Parts: sequence; structure tokens; C-alpha cells
Amino acid sequence: MGPATQHNPWLIQRDVIRALLIREMKTRFGKWRLGYAWVLLEPAMHIMVLAAIFSFLGREFYPGIPTMLFMLGGIAPFIFFSSCFNKGLAAVESNRGLFNYRQLRPFDAVLTRVLLEFAIYLFSLVVLLGILAWFGISARFNDFLLLVVINLLFLGFCLGISLTMCVVGTKFPEAARFAPMIVRPLYFISGVFFSLEQVPEEYHGYLSWNPILHMIELTREGLFASFHGMFANLPYLAMSSLTMLAFGLLVYRSQWRDLVRSQ
Amino acid sequence: MIELRDLTKSFRTPAGRKVLFKNVNAFFPEGKNIGILGRNGAGKSTLLRIMGGIDYPDSGHVITDQRISWPMGLSGGFQGSMTGRENAAFVCGIHGIWGSAKRKVLDRVQEFAEIGDYFDAPVKSYSSGMRSRLAFGLSIAVDFDYYLVDEVMSVGDAHFKHKCEQVIEEKRKTANFIIVAHAMPLLKKNCDVGLYLGPSGLQIFDTVEEAIRLYQQGIPKPAQGAPKQPA
Repeated sequence: MGPATQHNPWLIQRDVIRALLIREMKTRFGKWRLGYAWVLLEPAMHIMVLAAIFSFLGREFYPGIPTMLFMLGGIAPFIFFSSCFNKGLAAVESNRGLFNYRQLRPFDAVLTRVLLEFAIYLFSLVVLLGILAWFGISARFNDFLLLVVINLLFLGFCLGISLTMCVVGTKFPEAARFAPMIVRPLYFISGVFFSLEQVPEEYHGYLSWNPILHMIELTREGLFASFHGMFANLPYLAMSSLTMLAFGLLVYRSQWRDLVRSQ
Repeated sequence: MIELRDLTKSFRTPAGRKVLFKNVNAFFPEGKNIGILGRNGAGKSTLLRIMGGIDYPDSGHVITDQRISWPMGLSGGFQGSMTGRENAAFVCGIHGIWGSAKRKVLDRVQEFAEIGDYFDAPVKSYSSGMRSRLAFGLSIAVDFDYYLVDEVMSVGDAHFKHKCEQVIEEKRKTANFIIVAHAMPLLKKNCDVGLYLGPSGLQIFDTVEEAIRLYQQGIPKPAQGAPKQPA
């Protein structure tokens, strides 16, 4: 049931997502001088800072993989996750005006943002790998298919998280202030700058509950031939991604009217 | 056809729930223009938005096979950093209008809004009058079966008001309206069915005149005073 009832619902959905994507691109990058270059600059700066700190410490992180690349493989997925988390929290409040169009509901806003973040993440990962290779920092590539699979799974995971956060952030605005504090510690325990192999075995039992850690380990395994990824578990990532996606969709489905309803 | 089935809506207030209307059932056949009357805060706009599928009732359903517009002249969905043209293109996009059809619509909007070159300036630099001209131009550029009008006539200068009335006149040939207004002549001229949202809930009349009569009874007169809801 939409304003264009003669249309098929999938077409309406497609039109809405397409229009929102264009709008989101314009508002996010249109206002700065460098515009679309910010897609690359943000993760690039992040990686440069971290890599600078760690190369200053004079450690090689992982035998056979340049520190820069090792960091990139961890930071890129993590930035994607944390932007989905944070954008989800604010999805309803920052788009209130748009819900005056009946075919546009919070789901569309969340889905658009997650898709855009996903595109930015993949694009920046590929371009930064290219730039680093151009400067002679490269490692032997391993497994393209594995990368495709884990990234699709992780997309589902992040959509689930974002939908959940969209409901949480709207129903409990107080919680929305604390939620970003969850992301920060996750940064330290998700293996952004270490591999599970480098952590004493006794802590594995705790750390390996975290699906993001598996995602990062598997990303490195897919990217670099010399990465072992001994403890990364693809079935676990698949299970937790599908569970998170189902959970997010269910939470949204049970609550979506309340998100736009005037109280 | 628009059907309201067991519609209930209430608002949370510090003093408990305030019920706007309860278990409303109504059926509006095709071709009926609906006028909604009531005092400020009675829930007219909320009812309008519920009928348009933008807001949701506490319980009950709105059943319709009509294409219903967003509230006409609404500028809340505009993104300030984007230009008028980009905002208009976005609204076209979510209604499935792309390519050459979109350009045609954009030309019509620019012409109606009379904002000239400002059409390519960011919306945040617009005056409120320019904003509402743009918004109104946009809402008539997309075709619907039902248009929602929420006191749009109360903004803008005389020239704009006149233009809006002309447009409504024109649109009435092919589409219907649901109007919330305090201007009785506008309602009398354009509406067939009257809804009155009073202290005792929602009442539906076959003619808008009856609703207007009831509404005007509610206006406090020195002799009798306003009818009060028993506390």
C-alpha cells in the first residue's frame, strides 16, 4: 500500500532507495571542498595514524605482512561496523522530515545508510590497497571468494545491528547516549591491531565470542596468503551474522510503527 | 474509497492520556472531498496524517486503494544544504519519476514557485515564503487521487494564496481533497463531507455545512459560553 498503488512494491522500494542514496551522497560529500575524496581520506588518515604509532614502536606485527596492510585489513571492516552502529542510532531522528512521505519509512533510511557505508568501505579498501601497492607495500593475495562470502555475511550483520540500534536509539534516547561507548572497547578487543594467534591461548575463550574479531581475521586471511587465520571460524561468522540480521529485522518489524507514530 | 475501521488515537500528556477519537468507523466513497474542522489541538492534523498513512493510530486501520499525497506545501522534508532542484528531484525519485519525466516536473515546479535562479541555490538560503512556494509547487507536480491540505492557505502573500486556490480548483477536476482549515469559505467551496473533531470525539456529517454549524456553536459567545467537557 503506497501512494503509487499501481506499482509493484519492489519497484517502490527500489525507487526510494535510489533516491535516498543520491540524497545521502549529496549531503555527505557535497558540502566539503574535497567532496568525494573524503571517502578515502577518513580511513586513510585512521590507518596512517595507527601505522605511524606502531611502526614507531618498531615492531613488525605479523611475519610476512607489512604493518600498514595488516592494519588496513582490521580497520576497514571495523570502521564499516562502527559507522553502521552509529548511523543506525540516529537514523530516525535525523530523517524525521522524510517520514512525511508515506513510502519512506525508517527501514529505508537505515538500509540506504548501511548500503552506502558498505560501498564506501569496499571502495576505500580496494583503493588503499592499490595505493599502498603502488608505493611497494604489498603482500601476496589469497582468496577472493572467501572475501566475497564474508563481506556479504558482514553486510547482513551490520544491517541487523543498524536496525536494532535504530529501534533502541528511538525508543530509549538515553541509551543512545551510552551506546557509542560500547563501540570503543570493541575496537580494542576485535583484533584491529592484533591477531588472535598473538594472544595467549587462555584468553581465546573470551575473545572469540566476538563475531567482528572473526570477520577481521577472515578478511586478513582472504587478503594475505601468509596469514594463517588459525582460529578464525567461518561457520561462526555465518551463524552470528544471520542471527543478528534476523534479530534486527524482527525487532524492527515489531516496533516500526512506534518509531514514526506521534505519541 | 477510504475506510476508517475502529480508529482510536490518543496522546500522552502529563495528566494522562488524552483521547482524540475512539473507535471511529467511516466510509468515504470515491469522489468525496473531505473537510476536517476542530479547535487547535483537537487532532485535526493527526487525523489527516493518519488518513494519509503518515502517522498511525493506537488501534484500528485505514483501508484505501487510493494514491494519497503527502501534506501539500510541506517543507519539513527539505534538506537545507541541497538546492531546490535537488530536493525536488529527490521527491520525484521516491515517487518513481526519473529521467525526462523528472525534468518536466522540475520545470513545472520552477515555474510555479516563481523563485527563478534561486531554484539552484541551497534551500537553507530561502525565505520561508520561498520555501512554501517550492513545496506547494512540488506537491501539485506529482499526480495523486487524494491531496492532503493542512492549513496551507494560511501562509504566503495574497498572490500566492490566490494561486493556490486556483490550483485546487484545477486539481479538483481530476482529484479529491482532504482539507484541514479554519477558513470556512474554503471548506464550503471545496468539501462534500464534514468531519468535526470536538470534545466528544469525532462526528461525521454528510455535508460540510452541518460540521461548520457545530464548529461555530463551539465558539464561545458572551451569552452562553463554550460547551465544556465534564471533568
